[in-house]
Amino acid sequence: MKEQHHQSEFDVIIIGGGATGAGTARDCAMRGMRVLLVERHDFAAGATGRNHGLLHSGARYAVTDHESAAECIKENMILRRIARHCVEENDGLFITLPEDDLSYQSTFVDACLKAGINAEVIDPALAKRMEPSVNPSIIGAVKVPDGSVDPFRLTLANVIDAKAHGAKVLVYHQVVALIKEQGRVIGVTVVDQKTKEKTNYYAPLTISAGGIWGHGIAEMAGVKVDMYPAKGSLLIFGHRVNNVVLNRCRKPANADILVPGDTICLIGTTSSHVGFDEVDDLRVTPDEVDLLLREGEKLAPSLATTRILRAYAGVRPLVAADNDPTGRNISRGIVLLDHEERDGVPGFATITGGKLMTYRLMAEWAADLACRKLGIDKSCTTMTDPLPGSREGNEAPTGKSFVMEGGRKSAYVRHGELASRIAAENEYDNSLVCECEDVSVGEVKYALENLDVNNMVDLRRRTRVGMGTCQGELCACRAAGLLGEAHNCTKKAEADLTSFLNERWKGVYPVAWGSALRENEYTKWVYDGVCGLK
Amino acid sequence: MKFDTVIIGGGLSGLTCGVRLQKQGKRCVIVSAGQSALHFSSGSFDLLNRLADGTEVVSPVEQVSGVDKAHPYVKLGDKFAFYAAEAQKLMADCGVQLQGSADKNHYHFTPMGTMKPSWLTISDFDCYDNVAPFKGKKVILLNISGFLDFNTKFIADALETAGASCMIKSINLPELNKLRVSPTEMRSTNIAKVIDKEEVFNKLVSVIIGFSDGFDVVALPAVFGLASDRLVKALKGMVNIKLMPTMPPSVPGIRVQQQLRREFERLGGCYMLGDTVEKAEIENGKVKKVYTTNHGNIGITADAYVLTTGSFFSNGLVAHSHDIIEPVFGADVDFSEDRADWFDANFFGKQNYLTFGVATDEKFRVKKNGKSLENLYAAGSVLSGFNPIYEGCGAGVAMLTSLFVADNL
Amino acid sequence: MNLQESNISENNFEQCIKCTVCTVYCPVVPVNPKYPGPKQAGPDGERLRLKRGTFFDEALKYCLNCKRCEVACPSNVKIGDIIQLARIKYSKKKPSLRDTILANTDVVGTMSSAFAPIVNTTLSLKPVKLLMDSVLKVDHRRSFPKYSGEKFVTWFKKNAAARQDAFKHHVSFFHGCYINYNYPQLGKDVVSVMNALGYGVHMLEKEKCCGVALVSNGLIDQARSQAKLNVASIRKSVNEEKRPVIAASSTCTFTMRDEYPHLLGVDNADVRDQIEIVTRFVYRLIEEGKVKLKFRDGGKLRVAYHTPCHMEKLGWAYYSTALLRMIPNIDFVMLPSQCCGIGGTYGFKKENYETSQGIGASLFAAIEEAKVDYVATDCETCKWQIEMSTTTKVEHPISILARCLDLEATSKLNC
Repeated sequence: MKEQHHQSEFDVIIIGGGATGAGTARDCAMRGMRVLLVERHDFAAGATGRNHGLLHSGARYAVTDHESAAECIKENMILRRIARHCVEENDGLFITLPEDDLSYQSTFVDACLKAGINAEVIDPALAKRMEPSVNPSIIGAVKVPDGSVDPFRLTLANVIDAKAHGAKVLVYHQVVALIKEQGRVIGVTVVDQKTKEKTNYYAPLTISAGGIWGHGIAEMAGVKVDMYPAKGSLLIFGHRVNNVVLNRCRKPANADILVPGDTICLIGTTSSHVGFDEVDDLRVTPDEVDLLLREGEKLAPSLATTRILRAYAGVRPLVAADNDPTGRNISRGIVLLDHEERDGVPGFATITGGKLMTYRLMAEWAADLACRKLGIDKSCTTMTDPLPGSREGNEAPTGKSFVMEGGRKSAYVRHGELASRIAAENEYDNSLVCECEDVSVGEVKYALENLDVNNMVDLRRRTRVGMGTCQGELCACRAAGLLGEAHNCTKKAEADLTSFLNERWKGVYPVAWGSALRENEYTKWVYDGVCGLK
Repeated sequence: MKFDTVIIGGGLSGLTCGVRLQKQGKRCVIVSAGQSALHFSSGSFDLLNRLADGTEVVSPVEQVSGVDKAHPYVKLGDKFAFYAAEAQKLMADCGVQLQGSADKNHYHFTPMGTMKPSWLTISDFDCYDNVAPFKGKKVILLNISGFLDFNTKFIADALETAGASCMIKSINLPELNKLRVSPTEMRSTNIAKVIDKEEVFNKLVSVIIGFSDGFDVVALPAVFGLASDRLVKALKGMVNIKLMPTMPPSVPGIRVQQQLRREFERLGGCYMLGDTVEKAEIENGKVKKVYTTNHGNIGITADAYVLTTGSFFSNGLVAHSHDIIEPVFGADVDFSEDRADWFDANFFGKQNYLTFGVATDEKFRVKKNGKSLENLYAAGSVLSGFNPIYEGCGAGVAMLTSLFVADNL
Repeated sequence: MNLQESNISENNFEQCIKCTVCTVYCPVVPVNPKYPGPKQAGPDGERLRLKRGTFFDEALKYCLNCKRCEVACPSNVKIGDIIQLARIKYSKKKPSLRDTILANTDVVGTMSSAFAPIVNTTLSLKPVKLLMDSVLKVDHRRSFPKYSGEKFVTWFKKNAAARQDAFKHHVSFFHGCYINYNYPQLGKDVVSVMNALGYGVHMLEKEKCCGVALVSNGLIDQARSQAKLNVASIRKSVNEEKRPVIAASSTCTFTMRDEYPHLLGVDNADVRDQIEIVTRFVYRLIEEGKVKLKFRDGGKLRVAYHTPCHMEKLGWAYYSTALLRMIPNIDFVMLPSQCCGIGGTYGFKKENYETSQGIGASLFAAIEEAKVDYVATDCETCKWQIEMSTTTKVEHPISILARCLDLEATSKLNC
């Protein structure tokens, strides 16, 4: 066991490298705190990276949850400013199908307007022109300021900025215990997943931002946070069929949002309660796939003839309101628990609930609490300070033809102005590792050197390697080669390659028919048959 | 159009069948929907590497009796060894030089630098009787600078694990710079098209010789010899060169495809590339005529029809969400009704779907609605009852069943 | 219940499973590194373009639309169509004067035919070629097809039209620009062969250039309006006059059958099957036993067949070669099917000259090596390219057939 000096090296320790944790780390660091961010896997590996990637306008919640809706639209507008390179300003439509009750539309629009959401009833004919893939039988349409947001980029940008402000970031480090002294949480015991080495880190305040896993973190402090793991499954389609977010104008239900995001679009979600034993290995069931397809086709009929890339599921960290021990009154709003106040455990707080959209506000609340606890008088600036990547334009500098530029255009879309750091001096750097997603050798090297990449799945989250149609068939081996060179260890790279292929396969086999099965047979031939990987 | 035999599918299986039939004096047409899986060949052909129960196979001839009842090899009866030899002969007649024997599997290198057992290996590559052939040897591993589909680091580490000492070097030829400009087209076959020019090849040879000094073995990616193996032979005569397979596309594999097709056409066969058989007229249990996309209202008639359309990859079988069909004839397909049985959660598991295929009788006649069609045969990976990857028998089934069918039409 | 019974979208690029086979058979990639290659330009690029139109790359113009990628593709992806459609949809480049001139084969042809001797001489003059090279970027090393003094249609009206009604069966003949302006003899050969088989040959009510050159040079609106006009004429011929349509050029045939609906959105589904290349039409009549051929006694003739790209895509080389093989005493050589490099107007452009000749180099060598009397091919631009780049004369299979047939005796068998 390594002992850090008891005199705290840090002011605040944040557990969890999702959007909330990363955002909290950034906010605290920007307010001058010495921050440690600990993540047991990789950034955005939990619920952050397993949702719709929808830049909610809040309209979805307008009727049922005014507060959430109002938060959403505010944050929506903020993200458009501070996270331009993570956001696509697509707009959204709430469509009414013949089977839906058209009278809901006015209730919906009223609620939207009340929450400050610019909802505009438009002629269905105009809606069809706006989004040609929409179900042509629509009888009503409302336009709202929805969009798409890339959760991986968003989280990463927060991490990059947190680090730029002095935060220390540990990935693949798991908090195994909260260190308590006289009932007060004074630090954490962390295990390095690779070396299995244990280290104690100390800080006057520890904030849990562990999403659904926050339940377990709180338990380590002897505190009970009632969480309800709700699984949501989604399907990713091979390419974009729509450029405008499509929602159903009715009470929120299953599979009623189709979001375009980067090269793909995705339909979701289902909702079902799962046990805590399942949250680390979620599987999408055939029934869920069927339901998503059936409902998805109602939004955009062309989904019936579009190749599905994969299925995946995430867990919403729903929290039971404290005044409701039965757990029935579940909030989707932000929950900030000051455990000193609530449970008499000083030095510990939990930030949970909420949603990807409100990660920044959650971070602001958590950092505000930290300021109060630590006696720091600094106000939040994250609503105005752009994230790295969104400080300049994210169009590649125009040069010669695209072919000469390699994956430059895509790199600028993914990294914003930080893409200028990607090596592109020679042809080798420009050559593509991932041809589906346009990821160059230079970009992979940049990620390996600068973005805390430990394995190929991390690399995928940073660059989109293997997220395209072939799901790694062509690029996995090339990326593994570069990873092996960078880490000077092919044993690990080979293990990575096999687990990467397995991770891809996990998402593919629930939908493996048609071209997806063909693709997989080919991938299997190449890696198992030809390469002899095990 | 009238032929003696219509072969649907132009890969290893269809071409084997076609060449055999042409030699018997039968006039064949091969209708092939695009190029075949030979384009991704490792350069080796597997006959039987493992039994379904996991037993490793050392001698396919001796151990073939251990295959499952449903395995296509069972239908060959005592002709397994005969057809294995015939397959090798047929390849040789087509100008494809292969090493190996059905009596004993040998080892060959994979693109990862590891070893796999196999039956026949194209003469560009080498066969070994053990998994550490370079033990104690000094190896220099040369790659074309910027070529991503050859993982030198992996190969070097694998060789070192197997007891060799290995050095990696990049080589460059100015002639390849043009290719390098494109971010995607630095592919094995495009490199081969450059190197296969005599003057470029000669430069390459001198570069290689320059590097070879002081090393026992010079290992190189198989990125030349697309049109002919002349250069490969010439190079091997000069230095102790060992070629290693690359990730797809496979230069030697494509050459084999072209050699087989050339021989088939030389023997008078007609090869229709880029065409798909769309429908068939079936009357009284016999196929009367087939119609293709390109030829539209001009149908093709024949005495016999052979289905060598391959598995899912080549659309010989088509999977829907809840069933699997054979799209040309609507033949009976052996598959599990429960989708949960199709897959292993582990990508590297057996993957049961690989054993699905068309149901046939003892003469490989295709069944439809439970009854054999009189003049429709199936061969190769469209057949059911074997797992080409797990059992390591894809090429063997393709060639042996095709020969059997050709001889028993 | 099967969900997604057919999960093939309209733009079937997602059937691509990234096997890279198309890149092996692209003739442009090995000689022109500026071209991103069929996989990247086609299915891969299409996904990116759907994300943002700015991912369109003007380098797609280097695709010569040979469709050999489509023929090779084991996944039935319409790679060539995807690339050409992307150019139509996204390209912002206005066609240059040079491209407009090259594309308007019929306008230029009409003018040139009238002044054929002057134009032919002028176009072959060195200073003119150099001027065209520097001003128009038409490569000076390229030799131009000669213009004929009398257009085919003029000849037809004067010499043949009157006797066509007398035949029992009838076809309409889409002659195309090349026959009309540059090589009426081929048209005359078609008429004599068809007449000998008992078929009267008629012109379409109206005929415009099929538009292939307009498409490849980005003049889409003009191509579409010409396509509509041609389809209307074909429809009239097929439906009202009960005359199927034949053409001699594989490219015109392919364009009217497949590029009209796929690239230009001009529906031809009701008449598509009635547009045939003449060799297929004749083959079919022979196979169905409807006509008989009588050949002249003649010496040995050594002929090599070159498969034009669009013939390869149509899959119809079989018919042309089958007809040639019927000729007694023919010594037939099948050349390996590969692109000659001309790609219609592609090879005329200065920037493509090297690419064009590089693509064809091994074909030219194979032709020289074959030592034949003629190369037979169904495409006029292949003919220009091969005649310019080799010492061998090139003829259409129907011309060779016309030469070898005893037309009078054949006519007696069929009329």
